[in-house]
Amino acid sequence: MAIPLVPQLLRAHLAELAENDQRHDGRARWDSRETELELGVLQNAEGSAKVRMGDTIVYAGVKFQIMTPYPDRPNQGGLMCSAEIRPVAGRNWEPGPPSPESIELGRVVDRGIRESGCIDVDDLCIIPGEKAWQVILDLFAISDDGNLFDAFALAGIAALKTAMLPEVKFEMSDADRPLPVSKTPTMCSYHKVGGRFVYDADGKEELGGDERIHITLGDDGHVHSLQKGLKGIFTADEFAEIMEHAQGRCEELRQMILRAEG
Amino acid sequence: MSVSNDADGPRDNGRASLLVAPGDDLGVSEGHEAGHGVLMMDGRLRATKHGRVNEKGGEVAIEPFRTAYIPRPSDMVIGYVEGCTNNIWFIDIGAPFNAILPMSLGPGKAAFGGTRSILDIGEAVLCRVQEVEETHSSVVTMKGLGLRKIRSGNIEQVDPHLLGRLIGKGGKALSQLKEDTGCRIIVADNGRVWVDGEFDSIITVRDRLQAMSDDAKSTGVDA
Amino acid sequence: MGGYGDVQMIDENGLRVDGRGPADLRPVSIETGVIPVADGSARVTWGSNHAVAAVYGPMEAHPRKIQRQDRAVLDVRYNMAPFSTTDRMRPGFNRRSREISKVTADALESVVLLEMYPRSKIRIEIEILTAEAGTRCVGLTAASVALAHAGIPMTDMVVSVASGKINDVVVCDLNKEEDNYGEADLPMGILPNTGELVFLQMDGDLSPAEFQEAWDYNMEAALVVHQIMVDALKGGDA
Repeated sequence: MAIPLVPQLLRAHLAELAENDQRHDGRARWDSRETELELGVLQNAEGSAKVRMGDTIVYAGVKFQIMTPYPDRPNQGGLMCSAEIRPVAGRNWEPGPPSPESIELGRVVDRGIRESGCIDVDDLCIIPGEKAWQVILDLFAISDDGNLFDAFALAGIAALKTAMLPEVKFEMSDADRPLPVSKTPTMCSYHKVGGRFVYDADGKEELGGDERIHITLGDDGHVHSLQKGLKGIFTADEFAEIMEHAQGRCEELRQMILRAEG
Repeated sequence: MSVSNDADGPRDNGRASLLVAPGDDLGVSEGHEAGHGVLMMDGRLRATKHGRVNEKGGEVAIEPFRTAYIPRPSDMVIGYVEGCTNNIWFIDIGAPFNAILPMSLGPGKAAFGGTRSILDIGEAVLCRVQEVEETHSSVVTMKGLGLRKIRSGNIEQVDPHLLGRLIGKGGKALSQLKEDTGCRIIVADNGRVWVDGEFDSIITVRDRLQAMSDDAKSTGVDA
Repeated sequence: MGGYGDVQMIDENGLRVDGRGPADLRPVSIETGVIPVADGSARVTWGSNHAVAAVYGPMEAHPRKIQRQDRAVLDVRYNMAPFSTTDRMRPGFNRRSREISKVTADALESVVLLEMYPRSKIRIEIEILTAEAGTRCVGLTAASVALAHAGIPMTDMVVSVASGKINDVVVCDLNKEEDNYGEADLPMGILPNTGELVFLQMDGDLSPAEFQEAWDYNMEAALVVHQIMVDALKGGDA
């Protein structure tokens, strides 16, 4: 990823906004951008979702493959989550092998989903030691205006929840069945902008901001993954404050997914 | 986009204010000149850009809906210092290429190794395009009335095709905005708008700019 | 081309598996402005195909060795998203994508007024989100609309359509089954205002008469798709 120039005036302006408890686009500190979730948008994926948060737009698609279980876990299938941010998504994203930024994105989303235990890998076993389902979740951004993390996490779990195991295609039965997904982990991300953390930073706030923190919470409010990214120092009090917000917001996002599922 | 409707009413050839896409035929070229976004090909005029046809004094041109900023001599622009050497600053002016600001045209002279003490990376400057080479390299100058380093306020980006609407006929809309808010506002030719004043007033200007661009979006290309 | 002549793809009434007549296009729809952070963008859905294209620039060409002193270069990338196909597409280097990117760039360089932006590059990103058949045509068409939307000057937009042959019948705009089992495929990139060509490929087996028929189908279909492209631009952003 090319590193863009950070205008000093932007940082000064963001700091002045923060002092006045405002944000550059008029939102309050804990407001999200308008968030839309659409399900079943990709015809060749076995499960899919599209998320739009302001001018950030991402897709998630689920595909299945047959794998041989690992020798030490003969009764388990697998889950693979990968994020690809191709140069279509913005001026600063470059072609070539996955950048450290996109690898981090994929891994943080992966951990939140995996550690929540929402997918029972034992369920994915077909013949112990021989055949199992591998679930592949591909996260794909087409427009990056900040906070790809939350957009990917939301699209990712929603796509999994709508996925159908393609048993007909693989000649295993005469009907496809839903992928069992027992929980709905959701992520909230916070960026330090102008010296304080805000929720759902957009591209301008990411450009003129500092460190970020990502929190994934499960159905019962349990913490499943955390990540601190970029240069910056934060206090325990700051973390407690965003954690409190995340508890409420993650539940709202969960309800958004459940509503969309109908 | 504010296309001025001339007092003499709609053109009898029906071309004025027509929406066009690249490749659209605009009629015979005889008696006309091809302006911006129009090519003369095989005796006919052809649109090369997406926009609205504008005909004035025999010249047929297209006012594009979106367009890249290409510097022209004497443009006033707002730039960001992107890099420097011992006697040159490289300025991002939002064009395909960075402009060059030689120390002799800068705000001050520095001793060897002191370029950044005069103008540092990431700082903003109000400057004027001095010359543009055939290959689009440009030189900017800070010698001139009002040209300076920008130390306060906020810089917004406005889509180039909305600048006309922001400024208004004869600068009326812009003067009104300045009067209403008490802000100093400079609309640079490269689409960057510098706003300085009381914090609340800067916010008011921001909201007005946002409303203008939302309005343009909701009314589509007919804006 | 698979060339499985024994698979019956045209019924006794001359209709195709999806109910179209030989000269019919699949449904096509186009919208602009679908990638807000890009300088220009378009989405094309064409049958089950779903492609988006983004344009960035003109910007300084990097690395410097690709710079041309007298004109801009087009940096085109055609790519299929991992979930775009029935079997997952592995991300990464792919000879097919490279070739399509190159011929797409060659086609678009024929219409963009490159000499207006010396030493620059214009980035064109084509992403296939769902692939049915004819994705190179859909991608090239989407890229043309995205270029126009970005305000890049060009002498015409390129419309791309493919016709082919199935069960010895020449048909317009092959769908997936026809592409798999068909006997020929003729994709073309057409300038709708003049009927000139900037892109041409073919593989399979066509008699001179069949070739002419497929050619004519493409020319007619291009005018239909062109009208949809123009309407999308004149109707404004989504």
